[in-house]
Amino acid sequence: MIAIRTDDVDIGKLIRDAKQRGTGAIVVFDGVVRDDDIKEMNLEAYEEVALKELERIAQDAKKKHNLLSVDIIHRTGRLVVGENILVIVVSAGHREEAYAGSRFIIEAIKAGVPIWKKELTKDGGRWVPGEHGHGAGSRKHK
Amino acid sequence: MNVRVRFFAQFGELLGTDIIAEPSSGVALDSLIKEIASKNKEGYDAIFDEHGSFREFVIIMRNGKRLDMADAKKARIADGDEIAVFPPVAGG
Repeated sequence: MIAIRTDDVDIGKLIRDAKQRGTGAIVVFDGVVRDDDIKEMNLEAYEEVALKELERIAQDAKKKHNLLSVDIIHRTGRLVVGENILVIVVSAGHREEAYAGSRFIIEAIKAGVPIWKKELTKDGGRWVPGEHGHGAGSRKHK
Repeated sequence: MNVRVRFFAQFGELLGTDIIAEPSSGVALDSLIKEIASKNKEGYDAIFDEHGSFREFVIIMRNGKRLDMADAKKARIADGDEIAVFPPVAGG
C-alpha cells in the first residue's frame, strides 16, 4: 500500500501481509510525533505530486535493493504527540536488503516528497525546516 | 486564460493556498507569482529577495514537474497550467 491519508494504519496487518514466499526479513520504520514541547503537529501535502513521488520511490527501492514488498503510509492533518506520522514496511529475502531498502526510502522521502510539518505550541506554531535547505528534493519528477 | 496557482506551507498561510488567476496570454511565470504575492508583503518577501528574484530555497513546479530556477524565470504560462510554489520539504 502506498498512501497519503489522515487515518492511522494497522502496522500488524502490514507486517502479516508483507510475509510472502521468499521473505526472510521485514523492516518497519515508524516515524512518530516527538514531544518537543509541542501540543500537536499539522502535516500538509501537495498530495497529487507527493503520492506519485512515493510510488516512484517504492519502485526505485524495490529494484535497487531487491525488495519483495514495500508499504509507505504518510499521514497528514493534525497529529498529537506519539501518533504515527510515517510507516514504512519492507520485506526482502535477507536483512541487509531490508535494512538498506528501508533507509533508502526514508531518506528519499525527506529529500524530495512535497510534505510539510508545522509544530503547534502553546505560543502558536512553527514550520519545521527541511533537512535539504537548498531547494530540496529530486529534480527528476516524472 | 485560466491558471491555478497553489502555495504550500508558510507560503500558503501568507498568500492563500489555491488561487485561480486569469493572466494575459504569454505572461512570464515569475511576473504572475509576483503579482499574486504582492498582495501581502510578508508573503512576497518570503518568496522573493530584495532584487525581485526567487529566493534560493523556493521550489516551483509546473503541472507537477519541478522547474530549475533558470527555467522558472523565463517560463511562459499557458492556459490550464497548474503552478505550485513552496519552501523546502519536511516530510517523514
